[in-house]
Amino acid sequence: MNKARTASGSSTLRKLISKPEFSILLILVVMFTITAVLQANFFEKRSIVRNINAFAPLILLTMGQAVVIIAGGLDLSAGSALSLVVCVLTFVMRKASPETGAWAILAALVVAVLIGVINGIGIGYLRIPPVIITFATSYMWLGAALFLRPTPGGESVDWFKAFYDFSALPGASDSLKAFGSWMPPALILLLLGCLMWFVMKRTRMGRYIYAVGSNGNSAYESGINTAKIQMQACVINSLFIFLAALFFVGQTMSGDARMGDPLTLKAIAAAVVGGIALTGGRGSVYFAIVGALIMSFVNKIIFFANIPYAYQTLVSGVIIIVAIAGSQTYTLYRRRAMARESTLA
Amino acid sequence: MKVLEATGIKKCFGGVVALSDGNFSCQEGRITGLLGANGSGKSTISKIIAGVYSADAGEIRYKDRLVRYRNPNEARKDGIAMVYQNLSLVPDLTVWQNIVLGAEEKKRLFLDNKAAKNLSKEIIDQLLPGLDIGKMVYELNPGEMQIVEIAKAISAEPKLLILDEPTSALEKAQVKSLFRFVRSLAERGVAINFTSHRLWEVMEICDDIIIFRNGENVGSLDFERDGRDPERIVSYITGDVQKVKVSRERRKNGGKSVLEVKGLNYGKFLRDVSLDLKKGEILGIGGLAGQGQHELLLALAGNYPSVDCVATIDGEKVRLNRPANSIRHSVLLVPGDRELEGLFLKQSVYTNVIFPKLGLKHQPLFTPRAKYRKECERAVDVLSIKTSSLDMPVRTLSGGNQQKVVVGKWFSFSTNVLLLADPAKGVDIGAKRDLYGYIVNQVREKGISVILYASDTEELAEYCDRVLIMYEGQIVASLEGDDINEDTIIATSMRVR
Repeated sequence: MNKARTASGSSTLRKLISKPEFSILLILVVMFTITAVLQANFFEKRSIVRNINAFAPLILLTMGQAVVIIAGGLDLSAGSALSLVVCVLTFVMRKASPETGAWAILAALVVAVLIGVINGIGIGYLRIPPVIITFATSYMWLGAALFLRPTPGGESVDWFKAFYDFSALPGASDSLKAFGSWMPPALILLLLGCLMWFVMKRTRMGRYIYAVGSNGNSAYESGINTAKIQMQACVINSLFIFLAALFFVGQTMSGDARMGDPLTLKAIAAAVVGGIALTGGRGSVYFAIVGALIMSFVNKIIFFANIPYAYQTLVSGVIIIVAIAGSQTYTLYRRRAMARESTLA
Repeated sequence: MKVLEATGIKKCFGGVVALSDGNFSCQEGRITGLLGANGSGKSTISKIIAGVYSADAGEIRYKDRLVRYRNPNEARKDGIAMVYQNLSLVPDLTVWQNIVLGAEEKKRLFLDNKAAKNLSKEIIDQLLPGLDIGKMVYELNPGEMQIVEIAKAISAEPKLLILDEPTSALEKAQVKSLFRFVRSLAERGVAINFTSHRLWEVMEICDDIIIFRNGENVGSLDFERDGRDPERIVSYITGDVQKVKVSRERRKNGGKSVLEVKGLNYGKFLRDVSLDLKKGEILGIGGLAGQGQHELLLALAGNYPSVDCVATIDGEKVRLNRPANSIRHSVLLVPGDRELEGLFLKQSVYTNVIFPKLGLKHQPLFTPRAKYRKECERAVDVLSIKTSSLDMPVRTLSGGNQQKVVVGKWFSFSTNVLLLADPAKGVDIGAKRDLYGYIVNQVREKGISVILYASDTEELAEYCDRVLIMYEGQIVASLEGDDINEDTIIATSMRVR
């Protein structure tokens, strides 16, 4: 007993480094370092802002996806949903009348929530396997987006640029521009997303999302309305998609019905890299950010490493597999080592 | 004061009567025990009271009002909490999060975690001091999980607490502190219903007991009035009527060893198990449910890669870490749960019967269909499996016939040892007789040896030459000759004698 107490300091450290989170952070540090070495001006303010802008949409989608996965679901329609919300925004807005921007945001929010509700009814109440129902709905969102915007284009009110870059805002004051130079809007959106989850995690809903994903039957027996919780998880995902859509329109000032598609599987992969178990109940929404960062750094590394274009996709696949396998092997190895120590003691 | 009274409860599952006339009552501040052999209906009546099952007939009065719960939640809201054998915990939440799950208090917008932790700590400190309430439930051992399950039930402050085998996963010290706590709950006026296989525990904790046999209550004892007499309890459990003596002559011990195992260990399920199976012997494995019998048979069949044990089969050393090793020495397993382990339910009778052959070495490139079909037909014939054709999906057969198919899988193999894991579970009497008739014939004609685990003591008493009794993963007794009767088997299983 006494011996255990004196050794407790080092055992806390050991416990820490045997957590799966530790190995994920380790991978992030490795990727970060490689990128910093390869990109000459990595630490300049301008390229930091540029990187945040490039990473933000994937991070937001991954956070949303993480909530659904933790609740025991999966959303294959996230990318198409993003396209649809973007198309709704650019469909409603008229460059000439600034007030249409507010209507567009309202309409987009309603559509986003509706998307979440429909996915949630399918997963939660109708008990259709998530992969199937969201695969089906992804075509619905894509179809609706194509209906609103058959070809890329559309227009946007000028003040929407505030979602991308404060200095591009017409008539912006110098102080706002200065603020924007160290606090890009993308970062504000990310913080908003984090705050959203910070609040929700401390409510019954946040707790129940984990319970339902971990063991639905036990949760049900404990008196939790599991279908409702799964629907709420889908709606939270939609809110993250909505934030990403605001950023996209601010950046491109137009809409494209196919822009979101490639992001769906990237976000799911990023969530897995971030340690979120596809079986549900396990993982952290904040670590989804880490996963998305790792994925984004992988893309940058491939870009800077002068890998021929034809091989880029292949290499990125290999790196992701190495990252996931590495982190799991490491955790397993540490666990085994700890188990050995505890049996010796 | 009577808290709950159930009268004339009846419950059938499919065609099987689990409870024909169940009566039960419990009182404020008293601990009432439920006792009975496997399948006597004691678990069923607990679950009906807690709203897990609904009764087919009979009525339940709770606090002088007729109740009929449709699910456990309704019962819990009414103050009836049940601790389940199969746990209702969420593995990825912490201990305290599980204890308050579904009943979280709020403090303005956020959850009141402080109050929840305090409440959990207060309960856990009484049940299992030293358990870290911040631990994830998946990190706990089965005993700790059981304690958390109990803590969760208690946190709702029930008026009636149903404990269904709460001690099966616990160690001695944990049982002691649990009993202290249950007693203190009773002193606070909670009515407690306690079910256990372990007679000594029941005698230690309960104020009175109700005994079940074959789906009805056959007796009740108030310990204060009637005294604590284990022999009397056992006679209630087994029934006073002596069964007709079995005509089959039991083989005397002796002959050549076929399968010899020494010091078999597997996790906490099997501890230092040694046995010696003679040629032409039917060796029974008895004991209360879940004392490691199932694990023993699976281990002998080579299902646990981590078992580090060398067995001697016909004088040859064999490592029991792969099913193929056991099968090669003709040690064949007939699993108990045919739907989970024994059959491909959607496949045909033919596919199921010939399947083990496909795994043999030196298989012809193309399956000799005509030959195999003939073998399959013979198996169906000899075992009298009732099926309209060999191509019927096994799922469409009755339970008894399904079980015969499981046995038929090994029909064309040369059998040395047959391991039977509760082969007649949920099988009707006719099929049961067919099945055992076939097995006894095989033993007599081909001189094979059998290890039989049966949850029904009657089967053990009728067919076995020797019976080993298991308790908590160990073999605690070996019965031979005239000692093999239901009375002795049950008494030994409960460790009365």
